[in-house]
Amino acid sequence: MAKRRERDDTDRRKKQEKMLVYVEMIFFFSAFLLLTLKEGWDWTGFLLAVLIPVIIYVTTVWLAGWLRADKLLMAIVNFLCALGVLMLHTTDRIAGFSRGIQQLGHYGLGLVVMFCCILFVRIIRRWKWPVRILLALSVILIILPVLIGKEINGAQNWIFIGGFSLQPSEIVKVSLGIILSYYMSERRFWTWFVFLAICMGALMLQRDLGTALVYFTASLILFYAHSGNVLLTLAGLAGASGAAVFGYHAFRHVQNRVAAWKNPWSDYHNTGYQLAQTLIAIASAGLTGVGLGLGSPCDIPYYFTDFIFAIICEQFGLLFGIFTMVLYAIIILRGMSIAIHTRYSFYGLLAMAVTALLGMQTFIIIGGVLKLIPLTGITLPFVSYGGTSMLSCMALIGLLQGVSSINQDEMKYDSQISCAEEAQPAV
Amino acid sequence: MRQKRQRFRIMAALLIALLAVAGAYGVYTVSTYSSRWFGNTGNTRYQEARSTVIPGDVLDRNGVVLASSDESGKRIYNDDWYVRCAMVHITGDPDRNIPNAVDSFQASYLLGFQTSLRERIGTLLSGDRRRGDNVILTVDAQLQTRIAEAFASGEDTRGRPGAVVVMNYRTGEIITLLSIPNFDPMGDLAEIAQRPNSPFWNRAVRSVQAPGSTFKIITSAAVLQYMPGAANAEFDCTTGATQVDDQIIPDYGNGHHGMVSLADAFRVSCNNAFAQASVRLGSKYLRRTAEDFGFNDNFLFRDLVVENSSFPVDIATNGELAWSGIGQGRLLVTPLHMCMVASAIANEGVMMEPRLLLGVTGPTGIQRQGFTAKEYRTACEPQYAARIESFMKDVVARGTGRSAAVEGLSIAGKTGSAESSINNNKVTHAWFVGYIDEPEYPYAVCVFVENGGTGGAVAAPLAKQIFAWLTEK
Repeated sequence: MAKRRERDDTDRRKKQEKMLVYVEMIFFFSAFLLLTLKEGWDWTGFLLAVLIPVIIYVTTVWLAGWLRADKLLMAIVNFLCALGVLMLHTTDRIAGFSRGIQQLGHYGLGLVVMFCCILFVRIIRRWKWPVRILLALSVILIILPVLIGKEINGAQNWIFIGGFSLQPSEIVKVSLGIILSYYMSERRFWTWFVFLAICMGALMLQRDLGTALVYFTASLILFYAHSGNVLLTLAGLAGASGAAVFGYHAFRHVQNRVAAWKNPWSDYHNTGYQLAQTLIAIASAGLTGVGLGLGSPCDIPYYFTDFIFAIICEQFGLLFGIFTMVLYAIIILRGMSIAIHTRYSFYGLLAMAVTALLGMQTFIIIGGVLKLIPLTGITLPFVSYGGTSMLSCMALIGLLQGVSSINQDEMKYDSQISCAEEAQPAV
Repeated sequence: MRQKRQRFRIMAALLIALLAVAGAYGVYTVSTYSSRWFGNTGNTRYQEARSTVIPGDVLDRNGVVLASSDESGKRIYNDDWYVRCAMVHITGDPDRNIPNAVDSFQASYLLGFQTSLRERIGTLLSGDRRRGDNVILTVDAQLQTRIAEAFASGEDTRGRPGAVVVMNYRTGEIITLLSIPNFDPMGDLAEIAQRPNSPFWNRAVRSVQAPGSTFKIITSAAVLQYMPGAANAEFDCTTGATQVDDQIIPDYGNGHHGMVSLADAFRVSCNNAFAQASVRLGSKYLRRTAEDFGFNDNFLFRDLVVENSSFPVDIATNGELAWSGIGQGRLLVTPLHMCMVASAIANEGVMMEPRLLLGVTGPTGIQRQGFTAKEYRTACEPQYAARIESFMKDVVARGTGRSAAVEGLSIAGKTGSAESSINNNKVTHAWFVGYIDEPEYPYAVCVFVENGGTGGAVAAPLAKQIFAWLTEK
């Protein structure tokens, strides 16, 4: 009886997951088609209208099923990535770029990276050497921009290699999750602490304060979740606050950011311009938005990366913006749920590290765009334009999905054993 | 392990709580500030919408069209030059030189951002160019034009900058919001920008000045509330000047009033008495009462952007406290806010939110909802308001405000002569605030004349004319 109910439950759940995927597919198909029809026929738009639903279906229903990954998580990540492509595609028509189609490439590559990470987590059983190699590579990578980096928008966090540009701090974010959770589970405090200190120092030198904030807050969350040491956590928080005050007094650009946050209208034409335009855009939209493909998104500098949340709010309204935030909240909830169901300390911490990194990054940028906290230029996970950012977020989700699939394996193994025990005649 | 799982849950809850705070903050700011942000001159959506939507009309409370649009969507204003000039700070000008005028601040209505989907589909099917909503204001253009004329031609007010506010103290509806100098919105705006006294500046809501003796309304409220036995207290004005610490506070024109009660002091506007009373009160209570009347508050009215008024929060010496009690020192207030102070006394201590929007009609005639009177704050208890009202009636009957008296009407008022310095020259700004205490004419008036002289001689006579016009219909 119990077994039958269980099967009914799984059937219903599968049905619901399928429904979710269909709704998503219809949403994006109609959205891209609408844009295509609105301003004359355009093959790019039509291609996206067909391709995106296909990608969503294939990855969520087939690949996630095959790899025993979490389908809900997969569906949400797909939605956010496709939303990013959609928003970039709408602004392309105004600004005359082809960022939408480029982002589709990033999205596809990101999916590949994500499945590689799932396999990586599933295949590797002994983590000692892989983590050591990762540690060495990460230290080099994070220091590299200090030496040969190029300054963009006040932060020296880009490097250019043979025509390619990349942001090492984004890549190191992934290894940070692995390194922290591995050494924490091994109870080797100083190893991860020194690594984190190096990262923070390098990021400060690069003046990449947003990323530094993400690294630090996520590490603090992970440290507390692992150790439960309130005293040290508070000490870390106090140290960070002290560093923030010092940073405020030491750096001119931090003062500008804070001033722009306090009152973006007072220095409207310079430091406040970005935030003022963002607020105007959000205010113009109200709760339900001005409509897909309408509005003036390109008034906001960096609308395609840091401020893409403002574009979403402008076109779809603040309610949809909150809906997007709910999706991130679901990612956090799933991440926690996966972390709780792990058997090994390392996997639990890994899942939690991914959750904390993605959650903090989302909060810091959305809070900045909505003028809740001072703005620090980081990307909105999965949605913002950018290859490195997309790949690192997808890799993080891949790690989480890998842990999830290991959980699934073990649950299946357990139920097989219990079935076998049941089948044996009682002695 | 179980504890660790619990900590995982706590941390996830923390992350979600952070996102929830961000979302709630977003909803809060958009619902509070969106009209202010939308009306900002940096909003290019405004220009963009102007190219596709014909802006709606702006009408006064009697249906006089203040601003409308021709077939191409170009803004045209009232035919009468006098009306155009008088109303310009309310309607705005084509180049949006006046921040937060109705044309920009109410753009979300005028440009049809509030139009429902049904209406949009309706206009789409009819094939017409979309029209925005018509906005009906609470102002009376005829009255405002008359006041502007009187201001411009009056013996003492001619050529001086100033502001006049008339509001209904029961509902908060603004009947007149006049700023002088004004200009013709259809004139040569480049030339107008060069004129002296910044004509683009809406003084009624943006010019913050020392309230002078009109602030004694608030000092009296504080004395009545926080000084027991205030009714019997006597203040010493035998010498005509009071020394507080290193500050000497003289009376205007060095008058000598002898020993005076609060009522007498209010009637003759005795600085000595109020300076002594403020020092006895202490800065805490004076500040608290001023804040009850809206000082130091961030004004977020639905229909108007008003400069915040300030009462110093860090009064260190009794000397400064004494100056503050008579409305000098670092006190700053707009004419509109002073009108609200008088309105609060008239309305049994309840200050109404000033309103400029009487209603909004969609292009197909649908009335939009939500334009109702709203209390802004309770400024003081009704019994104190009644006491101050009797003081203010005395002022008009036999005190400094006699020139505001209109025969057959019960009028309360307070004059003010605020000393200030412009380019190191001592100047006196004339103030008068008052109201008609008749149930059928619930109007409060504030007249402010920059560098005009004394309130009793300059501002009160104009107020008298306004009272007469308000009751003549």
